Amino acid sequence: MKSKTPMLLLVEFRESFFMAMGAVRAHKLRSALTLLGVLVGVFSIIVVMTAMRVLQNNIENQIGRLGSQTFMIRRAPGVIYNQPQGAGKIARRKNITLQQGLEFQERATFARSVGLQTTFWAGEIDTAHKKTAPDVQMLGETPGSFPARNWTLGEGRLLLGVDVDNARDVCVLGSGLATNLFGSSPPAGERVKIDGINYTVVGVLQPNGSSFGGEQDNFAVIPITTGLNRYGGDTWRSLDLLVQAAGPESYDDCVEQSEGLLRALRKVPPGEKNDFEISSNDSLIAQFKSFTFALRIGVMLVSSIALLAAGVGIMNIMLVSVTERTREIGIRRAIGAKKRNIMLQFIMEAVALCEIGGIAGVIFGIIGGNATAYFLKMPPAIPVDWVVIGLGMCSLVGIIFGTYPAWKAANLDPIESLRYE
Amino acid sequence: MNFLIELREGLAISWSAIRANKLRSVLTTLGIVIGIVTVTLMAAAIAGLDRSFVKSISFLGADVLYISRVDWFVNSNEAWVKMARRPEITLAQIDRLREKFPLARAIAPVTDTYRTVQYKKRNASDVDITGTTEQFPFTSSISVADGRFFSASESEKGRPVCVIGSEVATNLFPEESPLGQKISIGRKPFQVVGVLEKQGTFLGMSLDNQVIIPLAQLLGALGNYSEYSIRVKVSNVADLENAREELRATMRRVRHLAPTDPDDFSINQQDQILTIFHKVAGTIAAIGLFITGLSLFVGGVGIMNIMFVSVAERTREIGVRKAIGAKRRTILLQFLTEAATICLIGGLIGLAIAWTATFLLQKIMPAELSPMIVCISILVSLLTGVISGFLPAWRAARMNPVDALRNE
Repeated sequence: MKSKTPMLLLVEFRESFFMAMGAVRAHKLRSALTLLGVLVGVFSIIVVMTAMRVLQNNIENQIGRLGSQTFMIRRAPGVIYNQPQGAGKIARRKNITLQQGLEFQERATFARSVGLQTTFWAGEIDTAHKKTAPDVQMLGETPGSFPARNWTLGEGRLLLGVDVDNARDVCVLGSGLATNLFGSSPPAGERVKIDGINYTVVGVLQPNGSSFGGEQDNFAVIPITTGLNRYGGDTWRSLDLLVQAAGPESYDDCVEQSEGLLRALRKVPPGEKNDFEISSNDSLIAQFKSFTFALRIGVMLVSSIALLAAGVGIMNIMLVSVTERTREIGIRRAIGAKKRNIMLQFIMEAVALCEIGGIAGVIFGIIGGNATAYFLKMPPAIPVDWVVIGLGMCSLVGIIFGTYPAWKAANLDPIESLRYE
Repeated sequence: MNFLIELREGLAISWSAIRANKLRSVLTTLGIVIGIVTVTLMAAAIAGLDRSFVKSISFLGADVLYISRVDWFVNSNEAWVKMARRPEITLAQIDRLREKFPLARAIAPVTDTYRTVQYKKRNASDVDITGTTEQFPFTSSISVADGRFFSASESEKGRPVCVIGSEVATNLFPEESPLGQKISIGRKPFQVVGVLEKQGTFLGMSLDNQVIIPLAQLLGALGNYSEYSIRVKVSNVADLENAREELRATMRRVRHLAPTDPDDFSINQQDQILTIFHKVAGTIAAIGLFITGLSLFVGGVGIMNIMFVSVAERTREIGVRKAIGAKRRTILLQFLTEAATICLIGGLIGLAIAWTATFLLQKIMPAELSPMIVCISILVSLLTGVISGFLPAWRAARMNPVDALRNE
């Protein structure tokens, strides 16, 4: 007997399922309207979550430009948000100077590479043939920055130590800028004029990832020393340090050692807080996620309300359905169906209704959400986790709001119900 | 007259129908209640945010123009790079502007810095130190609560006097009057001559953590150097656009621009912030109302569904009414009234809940349930009933009386 129980349960499930589908088909309009309620509820959750996922992916793409196991040290955080010590204190921090940077570079033997970088100027770049729009950035870098920023060589060569030591007038172009200026002809060895000074192009970088919309790789890289000589500002300009750890396992050590080293170089007394900020891809993305967390929860709550309304609708229609089918219930009970069977049948019916509506809602939601991706020219996204959550919520709604009508059906007196009209 | 009687009859029938199926009516109404509550609360929250923003921005003044080197809002990298190269505004230019621009009621150059302010053992950090002239109060919404603003002669001679914001006053002088005391800003002593009234916050920044000193002091004693902006209060708000054009022309002359040169300065005003805010807020409102509107839609679908059931159940009743002479219109009206009544009741209950919930909401964020929103909510709930009730009512109205009477 015991071995039969799971088998029986399965049969019962199948039977209930077919009966549910039969009931759904018997009342097409009614079922369609009930479905529509759930559909809209799930749609509202999925459409918003898909749209947010699209935006999130895009933003992660934008900020996740650093190489692997790389972190950046700068004087002040990029976004000053709820700083306990106040913005003014950060503004008074001492700059990270070239001397500090070079010393750091020399002594940071634990890191695979250390790069210094800063942005010197932005404007238009001329060649003998062409002129760009005035939004090209000129960055000052050292050879260590290239692996840290995930820049790989396309053609020619990268900056070398000699270029930095001798502050030579050479530059490496981002791929977007190179194509813009030179088209398909090889740029290496050509001369470009940046802010009135001629630089020799020694190399071009490979296109960096794929980001939709917005111009990418629109920059020129010169040795940091060249820029500092020309634009000055060792006194007022603060450099950024890019540190790449040797491997994933030594990353945390590397962060800690860099922190200690820089504290020593900047003579921060023990017990004082750091007078610089360390940020990595992960910390930036985590910051973004925590920023949007409240928003996502709020949206989910508001969207779920529609599902609640749909649940009330289901309960209502199930109650009607139970009343109408009183006779059927009576007959089933009379030929031996248990209360449990009746209960299962009606809950099954509610859940089936919800799930059909839910699946349709998910499909429409994903289409609707990705319409934003299409209009904003971003890659589409499918929030798998939210699809699962949405469908789960559907079943939950079906069970919660189907239980009372099912209970009512199960507790009908078989004799009375047979006699029903 | 006939119509009125029909309506009254319809109301009476629908009321008894609603009472006949209590649980069903309650659940249907609940669907509408949920929808109306969410939509109304969303509208209240949006209205509240809007009002609080507009209020918080009023410190800029509707009749004040702000001249600065760059625009307040720059939306492209290219434009930013171009603006960053504009020459700075100098004090000499401000003097010349004052001579040449008679339309202004007041002109005040402003520049500021952040310093720590000390009094005896107490200090306040990150205080916004503003350097300006005696004209400043006319160009802003500040008012002096206690004491006075510094005078024209103090401003001209660069006396070490200051007017402090209410937050600085409470921080540094918890129990004595600040007037006449000497506070030190960047280790230089300044005599407090006035305390400002509380202004509140803008975008989370306190406007009261502020000290105002004569411009010459900021340049001399504190040795601060940052860019100037100029506040110009026009004499007639109605003439703001003309004044703006006039000001632009004067600034061009002051900065010696050739007729073909583009402006190398920007004139900003409160409206710009409001326009941008309304754009953003409009989008948020549209999305928010759309999402909450969906739950109202679901409620409406629920009503339609239950009305179809109700029509099917009452086929006989419809047949009898038709047989004894009820017109299509009468039947249509009867069921429409039923749907509309349910929705109206739902809407009223929803409003009552939303009204209470608004008070709770106000504890976390600004929210405002205006009479306008209330009216719209009632109208919307009535409309939901009419729209979702129409198809079932139409089906009932078009029934063939013979078939309907024969129905089981």
